[in-house]
This record gives sequence, C-alpha cells and structure tokens, in this order.
Amino acid sequence: MPYLGGEETVRELRRALSNPHIQTDHLRYRNTIHRVIRLMSQGVDVSGLFSEMVKACATGDIVQKKLVYVFLCSYASVNPELSLLVINTLRKDCSDPNPMVRSLALRNMCNLRLPGLCEYVEQPLTAGLKDKAACVRRVAVLGWAKIHALLPNTEIDAAVVNELYGLLRDPDPVVMVNCLRALEEILEEEGGVAINKPIAHHLLNRLKECDVWGQSEVLSVLQRYRPRSEDELFDILSLLDPALLSHHVPIMAATLRLFLSLCSMLPAVCVSALERARGPLLAAAGSSSRELRYAALCHIQLLLRSEPGLMGEHYKRFYCGYAEPPYIKQSKIQVLVELVNDDNVAVVLDELKGYCTDVNTETSQAAINAIGSIGRSYDDRCLGILTGLLELKQEHITSAVLQTLRDLVWVSPQYGDAVCSALEKWEDQLQDTQGRGALLWLLGVYGDRLSGAPYILEDFIDGVRSEVSAEVKTELLTATLRVFLSRPAETQDMMGRLLQHCIEEELDMCVRDQALLYYRLLHCGIEDVRRVLQCGRRSDLSLGPLIGRPPEPISQWASIFNTLEPLMLGASSAGNSDPSTLTPYTLTSHSEPMTSDPHLMTPKLKDPDLTAPACSGQCLSLSSTLSPEEFERLWLQTEKGEFLEAYVMCPVPRCSPESLQVALQLVNIQTLAFTAPNKLPWKMYLYTHSSHTLTPHSSTTPPNTLILAEVLQAGGDGVKKVKEELIEDQENEREESVKEGEGGEERRGEMSGGVGGEDGGKGELLVRMRQYTGEKTTLTEFLSVLTTVLNAQHTA
Amino acid sequence: MIHSLFLVNPSGDIFLEKHWKSVVSRSVCDYFLEAREKALDPEDVPPVISTPHHYLISIYRDKLFFLSVIQTEVPPLFVIEFLHRVAEMIQDYFGECSETVIKDNVVMVYELLEEMLDNGFPLATESNVLKEMIRPPTILRSVVNTLTGSSNVGDKLPTGQLSTIPWRRAGVKYTNNEAYFDVVEEIDAILDRTGTTVFAEIQGVVEACVKLSGMPDLTLSFMNPRLLDDVSFHPCVRYKRWESERVLSFIPPDGNFTLMTYHVNAQNLVAIPVYVKHSINFFESGSGGRLDLTVGPKQTMGKTVEGVLVTVHMPKTVLSVSLNATQGSYTYDNATKVLVWDIGKLNPQKLPNLRGSLSLQTGAPKPEENPSLNIDLKIQQLAISGLKVNRLDMFGEKYKPFKGVKYITKAGKFQVRM
Repeated sequence: MPYLGGEETVRELRRALSNPHIQTDHLRYRNTIHRVIRLMSQGVDVSGLFSEMVKACATGDIVQKKLVYVFLCSYASVNPELSLLVINTLRKDCSDPNPMVRSLALRNMCNLRLPGLCEYVEQPLTAGLKDKAACVRRVAVLGWAKIHALLPNTEIDAAVVNELYGLLRDPDPVVMVNCLRALEEILEEEGGVAINKPIAHHLLNRLKECDVWGQSEVLSVLQRYRPRSEDELFDILSLLDPALLSHHVPIMAATLRLFLSLCSMLPAVCVSALERARGPLLAAAGSSSRELRYAALCHIQLLLRSEPGLMGEHYKRFYCGYAEPPYIKQSKIQVLVELVNDDNVAVVLDELKGYCTDVNTETSQAAINAIGSIGRSYDDRCLGILTGLLELKQEHITSAVLQTLRDLVWVSPQYGDAVCSALEKWEDQLQDTQGRGALLWLLGVYGDRLSGAPYILEDFIDGVRSEVSAEVKTELLTATLRVFLSRPAETQDMMGRLLQHCIEEELDMCVRDQALLYYRLLHCGIEDVRRVLQCGRRSDLSLGPLIGRPPEPISQWASIFNTLEPLMLGASSAGNSDPSTLTPYTLTSHSEPMTSDPHLMTPKLKDPDLTAPACSGQCLSLSSTLSPEEFERLWLQTEKGEFLEAYVMCPVPRCSPESLQVALQLVNIQTLAFTAPNKLPWKMYLYTHSSHTLTPHSSTTPPNTLILAEVLQAGGDGVKKVKEELIEDQENEREESVKEGEGGEERRGEMSGGVGGEDGGKGELLVRMRQYTGEKTTLTEFLSVLTTVLNAQHTA
Repeated sequence: MIHSLFLVNPSGDIFLEKHWKSVVSRSVCDYFLEAREKALDPEDVPPVISTPHHYLISIYRDKLFFLSVIQTEVPPLFVIEFLHRVAEMIQDYFGECSETVIKDNVVMVYELLEEMLDNGFPLATESNVLKEMIRPPTILRSVVNTLTGSSNVGDKLPTGQLSTIPWRRAGVKYTNNEAYFDVVEEIDAILDRTGTTVFAEIQGVVEACVKLSGMPDLTLSFMNPRLLDDVSFHPCVRYKRWESERVLSFIPPDGNFTLMTYHVNAQNLVAIPVYVKHSINFFESGSGGRLDLTVGPKQTMGKTVEGVLVTVHMPKTVLSVSLNATQGSYTYDNATKVLVWDIGKLNPQKLPNLRGSLSLQTGAPKPEENPSLNIDLKIQQLAISGLKVNRLDMFGEKYKPFKGVKYITKAGKFQVRM
C-alpha cells in the first residue's frame, strides 16, 4: 500500500524517539510509540526505527513494553544483529517478580523467530517450564514448539520432551492442552504424541475443564487411541456422550468424529451417534452465521451418503431463503434431492420449481438438474415442470433444461414422447454450447417424431461457418445423419452442404475426421449407415443403470468428517468455482489408493491384498464421476486411444451386484451399469481414473487419465453375439486398429494364451479397456486390480 | 493452526494483518480477491478457498471479511467459530465492528489478537478474562489515562485461572446480588403466497446475567419443559439432572453468558404472529406494475407487535417506486433493488397499508420472478412457544438474590413469498 510522506514521517518519529525530553515524559514517549505501531499497521516500512525502539524496550511501563515487543517481533528478521541487543532486556524480564512480565518476555523472545538467538532462549524456556505461574508455563510450553519450527533439523532435547509429557498432568488445563499442541508439532515425524492408556484416560477425565478450543483439540488427538477392551470403549463413549449435544458446533463435530473412529467396528453405535448428533447438526445448518451453515450442510451431505433416512422428516429445514448466498442454496438443493421420498416428492418438487427461476444462473441450473435427477426415480411430474420451464424463454434456463432432458431420456426412454411434444414448438436461439449440444442430440434421436427437426438443423447448418465449438459441430454431424435416415428428402441437400463444409473448410481435425468417416460410411450404402447410427435407443433397458446409489458404509467418509475436505467437495459439486481455483490438492489423502504391480500380470493373484501400499506409483482414483452418456461418448471417442482386450480366468461373480459394486468402489473403480447376475450374456461397465504418483517419468504422462472398461461373459458364443449387439457401429474400425497396433495383438495373444487358451469355457470373462491417452502399462495394471477383485469376490 | 489473519473491506483493501507464525505475504489474498471479484455480492464469496499452499477460510460479517490463512489440516468449524469470536470481541470492546473503529483502535486490536492466539492456537478468548488483561476503552477512562498516564493494560494476573471451576472466578463479591434471565425466541418461517406456513421453527436462547457473590448453585425449572427439542447447554449445566428431572442445575459463570439454546420444531406449535396481504402485478405492456401490501397481527397472545420492518427484494428491472404508506415510512434503494418499509408498532384497529405503482425499465420483459418479503418484528414480554420459567432457587450461599426473567420474541429469517 503506498503511503505518501512515509519517509518524512519516519524521520520525524526518529527525532522524537531520540529526544531526551520525550524519553523522560512517560506519556509522550508512549504516544510516539503508538504512532509508530499505527504506521506499521498501515504498511509503512518503519524498520529504520529499530535501534530507537530497542532502547524504548528497557522500561518499567508494561504497556510500552507490549507495544515495543509488537514492533520488534515484526522487524526482527530484518535486523538480526540489532535484535541481539534486545535479548538482554528480555532475559532480565524473564526473572521479573511479576508473572505477567515474565510470560510476556518469554513469549516475545520466541516470537522474534531468529534461529541465531535460540541458544539464548533455551535456558529461560527450561526455567519457564517449572515456573510457579500457570501463564508462564503456558507460554514456555508453546515456546518449545516455536523453537522446533525455527530449527527443524535439530533434535529437541529428550529431557525437554519428557518434561513436556510430564506437564500433561499440569493442574492448569491450558498448560495441558498447550503441551499436547507442542508435542504434536515437535514429534510430528514420529506421528505426534504417543497416546497410551493412562494419558488417554487422563485427557478424557480433564476434558470438561478445558475451554472449547482445547476440548476440540484433545478430542482430535484422542482419535489415535484404541481402547483395549469393549468395556473400556463403552466407558469412554458414555463419558463423551453429552458432548454430542454441545451447543458449540466444533466440539460436537469433533466428538462425533471421535465416536465414528472409535466405533468403526460397531456400525449400530455409529448410527445411534449420528442420530444423537442430528439435532445439533440441524441447528448448525440453521445458524445465523452463513459460513457455519455452509459447513454444517456439507457435513450433512456426508452423513446422508450412509444414512439417507436420517434427515427425512426434516426436509423443510433445507428450504432456501430468498437472500441466502448461492453456495448455500446449491448445497441445500443437493441435500433436498437426497431427502426425497414418496410422501414429500410433490412438495419438494414444488419448492425446487421455485428455485428454477433464481436470479443466480448457477443456482437455477442446480435446481433444474435436481428436478431431473428426481425424475429418474419418480414419476413424470418432473417432466411437466421441466417442459413448463421451456416456456419462460430464458436462455440459461432453457439450456439447463435441455441438458437435463437429454440425461433423463437416456436413462428413462419412456419419457421420449413427452420430450418430443415439448420440443415440437421449438423456435428459440441458444448461445450456450452445452445447451446446443443437448438440443442437437435430442433432435438426432427423435428426428423421426419431430416435424420441425430438419428446419432447426438447417438453421444450425447455415450458421456452421460462424460456429466455434467443435463439440457442437460433431454433435451437428451426427444429428444430421440420423435425421437423414428417417427423413432423407428434407435433409439430403443440407447434409451435403454440411459434409462439404466440414471436409473442405474445417480446421478442427476431429470434426473433419468425423465428417470424412460419415462420408465414407454413406458410400457403403444406407443399410450400413442405419446399422451404425440407429442401433435403437442407446440405453439398453436390460442394463438397468444404477440410479440410486446404495448407502455407503460410514467408514467410507468417517476419516474426512470435520476436515476441510467435505467443504471442498461441496464447492466442487456445486460447481461455483472455476477449475483454476479448484485444484485437486488436498492436505490429507482420505482413501488409501489402490495400487498394483505391473509385473504381477498373472490374472490370478495369489494374495488379494486390496490395500497394498503404493509400490508402483500408479493408483486409481474416483476423482470425477461420469454420466452414462458421457461414458458412451468417451467410449466411442477413444477409438483412437489405447485399447486392450484380455481374457480373464474368472467365473461370473455369483454375489449380488451391489456387493460387487461396493467391492469395486473400495479399489476406486466405479461401476456404471451391469446386468442381473443370472442373466445371459452377463456384462458390466466400469470406469476409473489412473494417476501416476511417484514414477520418475511422470512428466511425460498426463497426471490423470480416464480408463473405460467393459466386462463380458466369454462363455460359448456369447462374446461374438455381444460384440455384434453392442458396439456394432464401429466394430470393424476397431478391429482394424487392434490389428494395426502391433503391441495389442501380441499382448492379447500372451494373455489369452497364458490363461484362457486351453480352457475357453465358462470360467472366462472378456475385459475390454480403453484409455484416451497413456500407455499400455496403466491398462494392464488396471486389469490386474480388476482381476484381483473379481477373484476375491468369487472366493468370498 | 491459524497462521495469519487479514481484515479486508468489501472493496478489497486489506487494512489489517496479523501473523502468529511466520509472515505470509499479502499476495495470498489475491486468490480471495479474485473470488470476491467474481461474486456479485460480498455475501456470495465461498467461505473456503484452496490455494496451492494454503487454505483461506473467511467469514463475512458486519461488512468486513475476516480472512484466515491455514497451512495444516484443521476442523473448518473450529476456524469459522474462532473468526466469529474475534468479530464478537471487537464488537464487545468498541461497541461496533467496523473498519473505522478498527482503524481508530488499531493498536488495541493488535494487542487483543496477540492475546487471543499464541503460535496459532487460541489462548484467551473468554471476554471476562481478556478484559482483565486489556481494559476496554471508555470515554472517561481515556480522559483519565491521558491525564494520569495510566494504561489500558491490566498489570495483575487474571484471577479466573485460579478457580477450581474453570468458568467461574474465585472470590466474587457483589453488593447487589442479582440474577437476570432473558428468554429470546426467534421465529424462522417461510410462508407461501396464500399465507400457509411452508416451514416454521423457533430458535430459542436463554441468556443469563448473573452477578452473585461466592459460589452459588442455581436451579431453574420451567413450567413446560417438554416443549423443547434439541436443547444444548452451557458446560456448567448438569446434564444428568436435566435428563432425569428436566430442571437446569448449575453453578453459573460470573457475568453474561448463554445458558442454553433450544429449538421448537413441531409446526403446529409455532404461532405466526403476523399476516401479510399482498398483491404485486406487472402490466403486460412491461412499463410498470402495482404493489399493495397490508400487514396485520395474527396470533399475538394479546401482546403488541413492535418494530415491524418489511423488506422487499424487487426484480432487477424495477427502476423506481411511487408508493403511499398509511403508517411509517419507506425507502427504495435503486442500486440493490431493496424496498424497506419501516412500520413500527402494529395497531389492530387501523392496519398499515402500502400501495402504489412501480415503474420498470422501458423495453425490459415482464419480470418472471415474484419478489419475496422479509419481515422483522419484536414482541415484548412473550415467548411465542409458550415457554415459561417456573422458579429459580439458589443453594450454597446465605444471601437472598434479586431475580428477574424477561421474555422477548423476534423474527429471525421470516419470509413471505409473493
């Protein structure tokens, strides 16, 4: 901050500080120092006054001392030599009869933060640990933590550490908590304070004496303690029980977290703890501080992942107020979607309908998406609301509605007719890329039923020259071709124009390639085109996409409860911050990444050790979710990417689909859809993200790449049949690419030869994997993980 | 834990910084300021922002951002609560929490922050402990200080640390022994356009001001304790007795504190004290509209409704209003599009009414969204849930204290949709 006349003022202050008349006048001296501090707080560089201020330090006036210390601590690092002068005064103060002066001197001695001065500080600090006054001990204890932070490489004397452990039994609760804090920092490399039974019980018994902050810290340290017996565990729990209802939200949250970690083996206790904490959590969600409200909402979302019924009857508490900030509204909307049940669906939909016209576009889009996802499991009232919104003719609403409709009909094709009748009168213009993509997709799929489809397409084709988004153009190509199949007479001419433009003038390679592909496809004859582009509605009803998530086990999220992570999750799913501010950087890794060794490629692993520590530097993660249609799009797009096909020696899992899904989730593989267990041919769709963590050549590989996989039962002629049924459209193409890719062929031979060669019978599954970029090793590693899980599931 | 604190005003100037560990450059705030730029309203800035090396946790309060820089994993609720405590402390010391007040008392704020945290850990945050170390400014004292040269800093140890009960000082002495309890209830409600209650709950709090000598042991009982859901107490309350007998038994802290907070959820129990008759319509031609509002008392249990204030968030296209109020006065802020109608006391015989015309931006389409109104009100001597204190008994001391209970009902987030 520029401050005019700064230098002049500093000079004037220097004169004043060294003026003997002022120095003798108590009051004027202090006022001058006041002015120095004031300037300092405004950002003026007053470090030039350091030596004058050092002199001002030697005074009996405690206020003046305090002020000078504030100054010295701010500028000590600029003047290390001069700071040496202060040490003497400070050490003298450390033996002052007034405990206030002693603690002040001790605190500021450590706050100078000069590594060179540490040797002078240690002696008074050691003395301070034994001081009579609690306030000196408080400061001395934390002083050791500061010294450790200054000199991270030198070991703190073991005697001091022992002394600190001893002070955990200090009569003053603040000294006790400060000891914990200091030991946590000093022993960070050893994993913090060692909590044994006597210490844990001592801390628990004195919990009530601490202030709120202390309690919250003691509770978090206690998480490392594991009770020896069930009796001890329940004693601890009953001691902690009242704290679950504390009106200090931080304490309630810390207690709940401790409960969850202590009772990880006793799910029933966890559930009842959640029920007890529900009241305070709901109260926090209605608190007057909006930040607290937001944090509580994010944590409620976590809870609902395991206990969807927990808040059921309280859904009205999550209604949005008009003046609430968008980030709160968006997380409330997400909570509301989770709380929908048969009884309240109508009321909630009415409420959500009101939010669709919110001033904030992101909030209204979130509400529209919410209605869409309710529509997947509940009746078509949702559809009425969505189509009604189209009539508002608000650009952002229309775009969001179209995207939602696209997602909805993909999952529930029975809504097709209603969507068609809504689109029948379409005459708007859309600017939004996403929205236009969705519109084109709908036009393509329902081209035969929408009388106006060719005319809307024509508008798009006329404007294709000014179109910037490649995404819209590829969508346009597909849609035009699909409409051409059903209504050739109206579409032929404009399709010719579009193909010509895309092939001859288009600069984007993907669009051009796609246009060329279609052009050649058309040469093959209309029947082939039909076979490729119109293989029914893409969503296979028998697949039964996983609509509602099954409740997760509490342990899945217990470790991130009461940390910053739920808040960051909330922010990312609410989508209100752009990717640049939303780095995937987290301070704690909450789930142990699943890793595997690339050399252990035998599909039958001897030991299905699912939580093996990182050894190969590759791990899988579920960093972002994929919708079914995205999966399909990517599957088709990754034609050119890495491709691997393998036979795995493993029978079709007989366990329930849900348990298989949970098992796969544990190793961070997401299941998108699968058939019922006894239905033939059995198939399953999976995806995951692979990321390289420690590999030396990580700079050459992208940090995070998506892997898509399809698992088919390979029994008998099932494979061939399925191949034709499912991805017929570009089957030939892919077969070619496999043969061209020399490695692929070899590897496949290796794998099927080694494992399933002689026995191609019932016990085989075919796994097809695709990855956009990346190398074969990632795919083979993924495969080994998958095989392990499948085998483990079978043997279990 | 808490590395640094920055105070930022809504226009994005950092006017105070305090570092408890090493100095963090101001440039870390750029991530926050960027988010601030993007948000339309200062309230819309998300409370947690992650940067490559730090987390920034901020609260927005009294038109100021309190921005803390965090370097290690911490419970977010803890930090948020602490920041609120800082704001409350400034409010407590200087009467208000605003940029000018902080700038005027910058040295004292520095001292306070120094005492509240050491090495990033909360040290002394209790108001009465802090006030013993740093005395709050009063006009009289600052005059006396300038004349005599005495200080605002206490030079004796806070005595609170020596008592066996952490929340109470030892050896308290008063000449007038008194205990006052305020039962404050806030109604949070959403009413839809027909006047039916969409959602309603009461958030209640019992604030106490206890100035009793020695170590008194108090017992407070209610006429109808079963009314309460979700109670939470000050740590001094013996929870076991509440569970078995539904009475509050406690050794109180000295001075002001919050004894308990509670909720009343059951919707049929929540009385709605006022009703609003409203109509707002915009002409199809798009150039204007009409507004008509009437407020009247509904279930007030015979008490008068005071301090009624109606706030209407108008659609963005409303340019100006020309209205006529039969009672009170109204203002319309064109920048924020907020219409505020200050009614005052409700008179059941003559209901206040506000009507007139609205003029819209020319050419703008008819607004899609109907505005909503927020109502602020106050009812003295009534706890709207019907909660009543039965009696207060004191044990452990000989003297006879002076006791008093006051009830007040306020509107919390009270919203009517139009």
